[in-house]
Amino acid sequence: MNDRPEVFRGNRIFLACIYWAFVLYVFVPLILMVLMGFKDSNFIGFPIKSWTLDWYTGVFADAEVLSTFGYSVAIAVLSTLISIFVGTWIAVLLEGRKFWGRTLLFGLAVLPALVPGIISAIAFRIYARWLGIEPGMGAIVWAHAVHNVPFVVLVVMARLSTLPKSQIEAARDLGADPLISFIRVTLPYLVPAILGASIFCLLLSFDDFVRSFFLGGYEPTLPVLIFAKLRSGMSPEINAIATVALFLTAAIGIWAERFTRRMNKEN
Amino acid sequence: MTEDKSGRTFWARLASWGPYHALMRLTTASPRRQFLILAAFPILWVLSQHLGPMLQMLRVSLTDAYPVAPGVEQHFTLDNYGRFFGDSIFWMPFFRTLIFAGVFTFCTLIITYPVAYFLARHVSRKNQMLLLLLLLIPFWVGEIVRTYAIMILLGNTGAVNLALKTLGLIDRPIPFMYTSFSMGVGIVYLTALYMLLPLYSSLEKLPKSMNEAAADLGAGAWTRFRRVSLPLTIEGISSGCTLVFLISTGFYATPVLLGGPSTTVFAETIAGFFHVAGDEWPTGAAFATIMFAAALAITATFQKLMNALRKGDKK
Repeated sequence: MNDRPEVFRGNRIFLACIYWAFVLYVFVPLILMVLMGFKDSNFIGFPIKSWTLDWYTGVFADAEVLSTFGYSVAIAVLSTLISIFVGTWIAVLLEGRKFWGRTLLFGLAVLPALVPGIISAIAFRIYARWLGIEPGMGAIVWAHAVHNVPFVVLVVMARLSTLPKSQIEAARDLGADPLISFIRVTLPYLVPAILGASIFCLLLSFDDFVRSFFLGGYEPTLPVLIFAKLRSGMSPEINAIATVALFLTAAIGIWAERFTRRMNKEN
Repeated sequence: MTEDKSGRTFWARLASWGPYHALMRLTTASPRRQFLILAAFPILWVLSQHLGPMLQMLRVSLTDAYPVAPGVEQHFTLDNYGRFFGDSIFWMPFFRTLIFAGVFTFCTLIITYPVAYFLARHVSRKNQMLLLLLLLIPFWVGEIVRTYAIMILLGNTGAVNLALKTLGLIDRPIPFMYTSFSMGVGIVYLTALYMLLPLYSSLEKLPKSMNEAAADLGAGAWTRFRRVSLPLTIEGISSGCTLVFLISTGFYATPVLLGGPSTTVFAETIAGFFHVAGDEWPTGAAFATIMFAAALAITATFQKLMNALRKGDKK
């Protein structure tokens, strides 16, 4: 790594140990949780003496759990579409020519990401009541959409700042109006950023608890369902539900990570 | 691209289509008009959707009843804020939350700094991405699922107690759960990434040669860290801590599931006002406003301090 191994090697081994200990810290709880879903007993706890797949077959046979999955996915998709549309528009404005109040607008654009969870949920709850939005799917979609806009703005702005100005100018010189040059030049250039931001928003929405909890009606989203079940007692059934959710989100996350990396390399 | 008989693309046909052409002429007549049309929607959205909820919360916190019953007049009042100071059942959780958030932020910093340092300084470029990605995987998993994982880890029949028992270190399980300890483990678990990434990106920018120069001049590992790496990564530390502090103050489900009666945080106090039927919303709004103002004041002061520290070092 460097030309003075004798000076740095000791540190390196020490730091490597810390790194792997940290890896254990972040992985072991999840691995244990997955294992517990295979336990052939109602009682959560170690040791696990006999194994079963019943909890998993139970999850896929449970209409309530399955419809909750569908409900959460629908909320994630709808809120992501809104966030992407709004966030991209704001980013295009902010990365365009300078104007008075631009810094202020940027600050306001990222505000929802900085508001601590519970406060954001309460503020949305009050505002939804004021706007006349009833608790339920519409309210959750709206809250998730607003909360996720800042992440889209940041990702799209970063990508826009690397767009060569000459490309837009060339399109304009060839007679394209601003809208067509945006659709044909800027938008294709933004595709990797928009895809990356979409995945991020989908996962944020799918995993969100606090906003879904305070803005939801009678139908729970997946995290709210798991929370409600946990409050009435731990059971391997919850592990099975959580494990399915875990693999779903982790798989999407890993795929998106690889995908955006490949897209970035190509450009 | 599909071409029509005259050999023009869809976009060229659109551009010369009468109504579209007229619309474009109208909207882009002057740079000023074009800018206003581009800017109108974002400005309206940001004001009504980002700022609106916060302002409405502030407004409700200053009223005596919300939602207003028909026929009742709403009055302006500061009573909701007064209630906060009047009862220790309210301000105790508030200060507890701030102290917990501060302590947990510090713990996150201490735990993730060596990890980020190792990744940025002791690993080759190619492996860096791989090892970082490995750490990202668990963070794609949601808050509730990860909190539950911690419950299984630390429970009386959990993995840690089983391991200690097998090793013969304890006879009876240690009650880790429902304490500030289990809450800390959970919250650090949830926030570590938000600290790790800013630290990593500021450490990565640091040239390796600086550390080597310091080593050549005879500085030991601790001195190199304290005099070179630490001052030059203050920016990453400052933004990581700000982010983690703000996030830690906002957790609701994790303290409910991992904490006990002696670790009630302010988020639970605030939530209480929204569960019960009745006109408790203004008090809840006032408490949320107090929480937000305090969190912002603390992070702003912290950032000022870190900035001063950084400037002081440059002299």
